[in-house]
Amino acid sequence: MFKSGLSGKLTLKLDDAELGVLSQLFEQMAELLEHPESEAGADPLAKMLNMSGSTQISEDPALARLFPDGYSDDEHASADFRRFTEQDLRAQKLAALTTVRESLDGWIGKSSITAQQAQDWLKAINDLRLVLGTRLEIADEVDTDFEADEPGMHLYNYLTYLQGTLIDALT
Amino acid sequence: MSAMPIEDVAIDVMTDRPWITLVWNDPINLMTYVTYVFQTYFGYDKPKAELLMLDVHEKGRAVVSSGTREEMERDVAAMHSYGLWATLQKDD
Repeated sequence: MFKSGLSGKLTLKLDDAELGVLSQLFEQMAELLEHPESEAGADPLAKMLNMSGSTQISEDPALARLFPDGYSDDEHASADFRRFTEQDLRAQKLAALTTVRESLDGWIGKSSITAQQAQDWLKAINDLRLVLGTRLEIADEVDTDFEADEPGMHLYNYLTYLQGTLIDALT
Repeated sequence: MSAMPIEDVAIDVMTDRPWITLVWNDPINLMTYVTYVFQTYFGYDKPKAELLMLDVHEKGRAVVSSGTREEMERDVAAMHSYGLWATLQKDD
């Protein structure tokens, strides 16, 4: 669990198994985000104008959850919003992931992160929970108590616990 | 603190703040996380952030900010960066 330490730093103790699982999950997350969804990115002019973002919500429910529509009642405005914001959002999510993965690379037992890095950890863990939770088809809060035998649910519950302690340590 | 003239307040409400950002309930985001995001991004104090979070949780959605369309697009993009499910729309 995360604990608040000296000078705003946060400490986290991870055993080898936890470290292995987290590293793998964040790697898979990076692969999911790096995978381009549309071929529109191949248009160099669109790319130069920073307009190569897709305009359609993903058919993958997990990606649709990470990159939702900006408008609930206006398809056209949603398409425009996505075109101009999705690439940046993807870059932000990848940057947070990079912070976490770089920290984990040199992690030994109990290590610490800065308050600044903690913001990236918070977002990256949450994105991971969103993807896992969507894949597990979690439909309401009590779902997390069910089917705890499923390995995916174990991971989901572990990430929920980790995020909970991170928020506690930050507040 | 000087009071804002009434007509200015009216104009503010009528023209400058016709768009709203809505945050929708979802089964994955933690209540403590949603509260933390409202405090961190909007600078709301904890009681206000908690009230908004409870609104989202119990009523299915809550208006978390209002302003120009551009401001609301910025807020919605920020909420998406935190993984919150947010949309903007004209305030009817």
